[in-house]
Amino acid sequence: MTDRVAWTERLRRHFPWITLTTLVILVGITDFNFLRPDNLLNLAADIVPLLIMAIGMTLVIYIGSIDLSSQSIANMATVLTTIALPSFGVGSGLLVLVAGLAFGAVSGVVTTRLKVPSFISTLAVGGIALSVGQFASGQQALHMDAEMRRHAFGWMVGRTAGIPHELIVALLLVVAAWFIQGRMTAGRTFKAIGAGEPVAVASGIRVERYKILAFALSGMFAAIAGLVFSVKLSGGSPTLAEGFLLPAIVAVLVGGTPLTGGVGGVVNTVIGTMIVAVVRASMLYLNIPAMGQQIFFGLVLIVAIASTIDRSKMRIVK
Amino acid sequence: MKHGLVMDNIRKWVPFLVLLVLVLFFTAVNPHFLSLRNFARIAVSSSPALMVAVGATFVILMGSIDLSMEGTVAVCAVVFAMLLNRLGGSLAHVGWAAIPGALLAGGVLGAVNGLIHVRLRIPSFMASLSMGFVGVGLSLLMTGGNRILIDDPLFRSLLTVRFMSFPLMAYAALGGLLVAWFIQDRTTIGRNFYAIGGGEELARASGLNVGRVRVIGFILAGIFFALGAILAVARLGIAETETGTGFMFLSITSVVVGGTGLAGGSGGVWNTLVGVLIVNVIGNGMVVVGLPDYLQDGVLGLLVISAVYLSMDRRSLSFAR
Repeated sequence: MTDRVAWTERLRRHFPWITLTTLVILVGITDFNFLRPDNLLNLAADIVPLLIMAIGMTLVIYIGSIDLSSQSIANMATVLTTIALPSFGVGSGLLVLVAGLAFGAVSGVVTTRLKVPSFISTLAVGGIALSVGQFASGQQALHMDAEMRRHAFGWMVGRTAGIPHELIVALLLVVAAWFIQGRMTAGRTFKAIGAGEPVAVASGIRVERYKILAFALSGMFAAIAGLVFSVKLSGGSPTLAEGFLLPAIVAVLVGGTPLTGGVGGVVNTVIGTMIVAVVRASMLYLNIPAMGQQIFFGLVLIVAIASTIDRSKMRIVK
Repeated sequence: MKHGLVMDNIRKWVPFLVLLVLVLFFTAVNPHFLSLRNFARIAVSSSPALMVAVGATFVILMGSIDLSMEGTVAVCAVVFAMLLNRLGGSLAHVGWAAIPGALLAGGVLGAVNGLIHVRLRIPSFMASLSMGFVGVGLSLLMTGGNRILIDDPLFRSLLTVRFMSFPLMAYAALGGLLVAWFIQDRTTIGRNFYAIGGGEELARASGLNVGRVRVIGFILAGIFFALGAILAVARLGIAETETGTGFMFLSITSVVVGGTGLAGGSGGVWNTLVGVLIVNVIGNGMVVVGLPDYLQDGVLGLLVISAVYLSMDRRSLSFAR
């Protein structure tokens, strides 16, 4: 009996990458062009903003909370980057980063100190970020000056040895997040909180601080996602990153970090994001309209939550 | 003990006082705020929101939450418009069947929502959020991204015909509210919502079929979302995917600002009426005093945090997820 449980548990841990490989092979069989390295690289470069947002989201889901403000913070970041570019140059990136960090921290403080459930606190903070974005942009799409963009963020676009630079940026961020999660006290504490918050509190860990940190990091990653996206599209608008929230949550959960937290992590989300990317690409091949995608991902999300959630942590499901 | 009771009584009236203070404040800044014409304008913007928020109230009373309204409202609006136009385009003839049709669509979506939440044992905020995304996709698929125009004069009379200077849709919403009040106060199912919200384990131990009541709550919510969708279509004369946009944040804000606790078991549909009015008075008042209306989201964000903070019984809560 225990053997069987352990066996399914072990399989579950490998499920994400098995899904990914299967999907890639399936799509590869239907259209061999899909497997060409340049196509795969393009595919990967296209999802960089989504990946960055999902990485941040992972840290929050890892501690058993959720962040619904990511999309609004990314929206705000596209606007702020575009506005700040003429006066601060590359410093506008730093500015946006700090703004994201601050908004995330507010979500964290509201969740931990005021004890407001995270889906409400992040929804509210998202509303504030949306307002800031709309206010700063005057509710219109803004464009970056091509010369200034090249000067400040030129290093982010283009390719070296065939590898898109955004991909390198994303890789560095993944490594940073992975380092925080796996090699730093903060990461180990996140795991302890996700595995059982009351136990973490009882062992004398200052849980609140670490939770605020997780939310702040998520806000920062969302802002970086917005930054990269606005550089990519050479502009900003308060609705530019619309449609990011669903695939970002899907990426985290499909990757194998359950809603209840404690297991999974950054590397899982990288696999999850790749699954999302391959599914999207295959839908293009199969000529499924964009609206079909939303229905599909919504259903996938339900299945992913239902199959990964740890019900022993929830006595009552509300 | 006595002190606690007094505090509870004061707390109960806080939302209403907030509404009064807001009305006085905006009137002081711009006297035009306090006019029948402007109140009618607030009533028009409040009516669809009230129906959606009332639906959400039932679910929040049980301590769950429904975040599917953007999708459900969009689907119901599109179903309503498509049925109406296909059945001759007028409520006067067979077109009236579009109303029960839309309500049915809302009820079915609500049932799916509730069943996913209860049967798969997924937290309701995530189950309903996912279903909301599915609903938005579904409405896009049905419309192909187009707008559906409705020019039936009988249906549009909800907006155009006024009785005592308020449009008919305000009375329709009031009627919906009274029905909701009846369900909440005078039916077994309404009392069961409170029982589950007040303490699920106790309710279960007393022999209540909690899963069934939850699903019924979500179905009711879906039906009221459909009512909100119909009024929203009546307001603009257009049904599209965008019809649902913004309802999630607005209605959840309205419910909590009105004083219905997220933990469940306290508050009710009258609280939600006050909450919807607070939200819409702020939206309208900001325009009247000359502030851009998009600042509304930010103000509401702050408001919702403080309302949840004030309403929560933190003695029984060691940590929040």
